[in-house]
Amino acid sequence: MKASTQERLKAAAAHTLLIGFIALILFPFLMVIAISFRRGNFALGALFPTGDDLSLEHWRYVLGIPYTETMPDGSMRTVKASTPVLQWFWNSLKVSTSASLLIILLSGTAAYAFARMQFVARETLLKSLLILQVFPMVLALVALYALLQLIGEFIPGFGLNTHPGLVLTYLGGIAIYIWMIKGYFDTIPVSIEESAKIDGATHFQAFVRILLPMSAPIFAVVFILSFISHISEYPVASVVLQTEGQWTLAVGAQSFLYEQNYLWGKFAATAVLSGLPITAMFLFCQRFLISGLTSGGVKE
Amino acid sequence: MGTVSIKNLDKTYPASGKNQAFRAVKSIDLEIPDGEFIVLVGPSGCGKSTTLRMVAGLEKITSGTIAIDGVIVNDLLPKDRGIAMVFQNYALYPHFSLFENMAFGLRLAKTPKAEILRRVGNAAKILGLENILERKPAALSGGQRQRVAVGRAIVRDPKVFLFDEPLSNLDAKMRVQMRSEIAKLHARLGTTMIYVTHDQIEAMTMGDRICVMKDGEIMQVADPLTLYNQPDNVFVAGFIGSPPMNLFKGNLERREGRLFFHETAEADALFVPLTGRLAKLVADHEGKPVVFGIRPENISESPYATDSTPITATVELSEPMGSETNAYFKTGSGNLIARLHTERLLAMGDSLTLHLNLAKAHLFDATTEQIIR
Repeated sequence: MKASTQERLKAAAAHTLLIGFIALILFPFLMVIAISFRRGNFALGALFPTGDDLSLEHWRYVLGIPYTETMPDGSMRTVKASTPVLQWFWNSLKVSTSASLLIILLSGTAAYAFARMQFVARETLLKSLLILQVFPMVLALVALYALLQLIGEFIPGFGLNTHPGLVLTYLGGIAIYIWMIKGYFDTIPVSIEESAKIDGATHFQAFVRILLPMSAPIFAVVFILSFISHISEYPVASVVLQTEGQWTLAVGAQSFLYEQNYLWGKFAATAVLSGLPITAMFLFCQRFLISGLTSGGVKE
Repeated sequence: MGTVSIKNLDKTYPASGKNQAFRAVKSIDLEIPDGEFIVLVGPSGCGKSTTLRMVAGLEKITSGTIAIDGVIVNDLLPKDRGIAMVFQNYALYPHFSLFENMAFGLRLAKTPKAEILRRVGNAAKILGLENILERKPAALSGGQRQRVAVGRAIVRDPKVFLFDEPLSNLDAKMRVQMRSEIAKLHARLGTTMIYVTHDQIEAMTMGDRICVMKDGEIMQVADPLTLYNQPDNVFVAGFIGSPPMNLFKGNLERREGRLFFHETAEADALFVPLTGRLAKLVADHEGKPVVFGIRPENISESPYATDSTPITATVELSEPMGSETNAYFKTGSGNLIARLHTERLLAMGDSLTLHLNLAKAHLFDATTEQIIR
């Protein structure tokens, strides 16, 4: 076999493998989109609904626009959604964004302390943070419920069935983010902050004006990861949020699937809807994901 | 005025985890007069950087005092000590332009805009950075970056400049250039400068005085030539100079009424008849272990006018440099290096008569490692 033929075969094999892999990831996603545009609530069908199959009824439903529905007996009627999907969407956005911002604030400052300050039991604390993170938050569901109930008795705004309450529970899971940010801080030479100190900066000024701008990429990553995990978080939200109006998309979407009737179409439309802010957040955060932000400051 | 007075300065890093407590600086005293360029030099781990960082206020002082301009600064913040520091790795702010890098300290101090412009402009002019003030550090070469770091220090208008191995990260050519630039800067500003380096050539060429340190202790403080010609101890003798001073362990012996230095070795031991000044100095050390030291340039093929003593030695290796030849002669415990001004090539195995200039040789007490004078 000629070398060039061999090269070409290799490339072909690699491409086949990669395309297969992409298809594996992409097909479920395309199917969900297809379901959301298909008339009726059918999980199976053409990947690209056409003609009679194509319908915007699920989208009209989740966006709260009146639409006509075909009844099982063949008659038509105009309906308006009875579920506040857009409200859920807004709730999700509110909870995920505020949780992510607070997580950045908490884990950023905690990571600074772990990376730059010397204090008693520093190593022990760092390790125990990681060990605690091993247990999923779901295991503490009962405790969270009881705690929120207790908090609610004193500060109603942070109790059960409130968004601040839910955000509060999310703030418990920041160990992994502390580790990520600390890892990034560790790569930034201490001498840059030391020279800021000689220039007259306080700890806080050195942190805010020197370290933070250099750490934008890791904060963007933490924000995206936290945003994704909290917008799709179901177990805790479903227990904490009890009334329909307070639900997030993840909880609300689940309500379309019950034993007697799987409303696949509405579920799919809701799922796609919750993907939109994640996509938007990705596009927004991308601008911070630039390498070389810290280059030039020191000689490695 | 920028005098620095260090008294009984001590630094001990407490034990943490698996690391044992470490005493990095051992009760040192050092007086630095106003306007002096003093170099702290020594091998890595000798405590020179720790000392500098304590002067800067970046490292807590375990005990002792540091006074700048008569004021004890132990408990002052770095910014209130009247110092500016240049780091080995430049430590510039990568997200700021050069102008902002230099202006950062002034901005924090809420200096008026016009004053910031004037001072940064002045520093930029001294260092030739006027045309690139809008650039970011990443767009600069190593030499330019270090110049910005120096500029940032100048802008602070400090009483004392602190340099922590500022040239170690530059290539050889840039290092020589920056060396003379810093020396010129000192001549121009006349400010006290404390300069830390592990490079003895930097120390010799730049310092008004040099403070040689080892294991947290000061070995000797003196001007470059005193350090070179009259080392206090074996360490300083061996540390300063390149190629280094020849140092041999041995005994003082008397044979037929004359004193000899006899190297401790199985075979090929160096045997040096002592005469003149050296012989008188060490008369009462007879029979004791000593270290004999002589610099390569104090050995020649022709006799010296005074205190000259001949020995015979075999060439083991020769490195012709053109103007001179570094010749390595076989001795019992190693090599005797001689810098010979010869125009012929020396071959391995050649036997030569060498003359040692005993007026420039040294004898050290082998137990205390201090010079015998």
